[in-house]
Amino acid sequence: MPNACNLTTASDEQLVAATLQGDISSFGIIVERYWNMAVALALSKIDDLVAAEDVAQESFIKAYSQLHRLRKASSFAGWLSKIIAQQCVNTLRRKERNEIISSYETASPEVLNFALAKSTNPGLTDEQTLFVRRVIRNLPEKFRKLIIMRFVAGLPAVQIAKQLGKRPGTVRVWLHRAYQILRKDLAPILEELE
Amino acid sequence: MNCENYKKLIGKYLDGSINDAERTALRAHTQECASCCAQVHSIDRIDSTIKSAFCPATATSQASDSILSKLPATAVRWAPRPLFTPQTALAASILLVIGLLLGIGATRITAKKRPSAKAAPTVPIRVASLRGTVLVKHQNSQSWYELTPESNVYLGDTFHSAAKSAFVLELEDKSTIELNQNSMLVLKLYNGGTQFHLEHGRLAATLDSPHPPFVISTPNGRVEALGTEFTVTVE
Repeated sequence: MPNACNLTTASDEQLVAATLQGDISSFGIIVERYWNMAVALALSKIDDLVAAEDVAQESFIKAYSQLHRLRKASSFAGWLSKIIAQQCVNTLRRKERNEIISSYETASPEVLNFALAKSTNPGLTDEQTLFVRRVIRNLPEKFRKLIIMRFVAGLPAVQIAKQLGKRPGTVRVWLHRAYQILRKDLAPILEELE
Repeated sequence: MNCENYKKLIGKYLDGSINDAERTALRAHTQECASCCAQVHSIDRIDSTIKSAFCPATATSQASDSILSKLPATAVRWAPRPLFTPQTALAASILLVIGLLLGIGATRITAKKRPSAKAAPTVPIRVASLRGTVLVKHQNSQSWYELTPESNVYLGDTFHSAAKSAFVLELEDKSTIELNQNSMLVLKLYNGGTQFHLEHGRLAATLDSPHPPFVISTPNGRVEALGTEFTVTVE
């Protein structure tokens, strides 16, 4: 499948341009490229995996409908991360409002959070998953985005810099600082996994 | 190369800028050096731990199919016409000069006729989400209509959210204004831009950072946003 191969190795700029010309499959490639990152970014703010996937999905749909407004196609992921952050705020507000309106309480927050943290990945227990997500959530916003882009999306620092409109040197320094924090904060889990 | 040089390679390994030759060299070195091996191993473990903790339940291909099936057919090409382009600004200023030359009397007559003859201009604001019943009244109209997510937003619109209802307006720069229940918001023309006037109730605004001066007017005074998130309540 030479075409499919070309498409998957195409740059974000090429895929965005093709999408704007009506090639919907190019947007499909963009979704595949950034789906894990989008869910992770949402999960770094929302405990519920289902809600986080909904946020990611809504964000992609919103990004598609506003794609003509994206000025630099090379910063698609950075732009998407802003949409996700906004969608998370909306979701959390909606949830907050529903909680105020609704007087039903089915479970204590701890029990609920624990249930929501369930991961489909067999590598970590539910407790460990929750712990790792909390550690990432406690990182400063700039580090959090960076760590997810680097480790979940697998983007190198140079590309992250392009996506976020920062200097590569700045991103490298932030990445190394964030890594040092993670090494310390994730130590208990890493020891368990040894 | 001594360990000091390999530390640079470990740094490159972490930030993803390592090339194949450097990777091979680093791998060979880690076979002999326990300290460097531990550092590389630590990066790998953190990488895999984060990947596992943030692994989505829906596979990428499945997610892609699901999203593509929900995409609006024509939305991507649709571009809202900007309200003030250089051309429209020039045309408006020429018309203004002609209007002034023709005399105040003539402009008064046309000004009287205009509101009934021509609808208020739409503004680049859209209804991002909506819950419950929200009513909207256009300028120079006495009727209230129910707001829908597809509704166009016009300058001079008055929004009224009923009990247990709320909606979010999204501005052109992705800033959002959320009107809570039992609230009234009016979009007024002020200094050539749209002014949000909270008549009563509560609104929460989330602005893009950095943002130009952003003011919410209320019957009690004007509130200027300094940060990116704020709430205004009018009792």
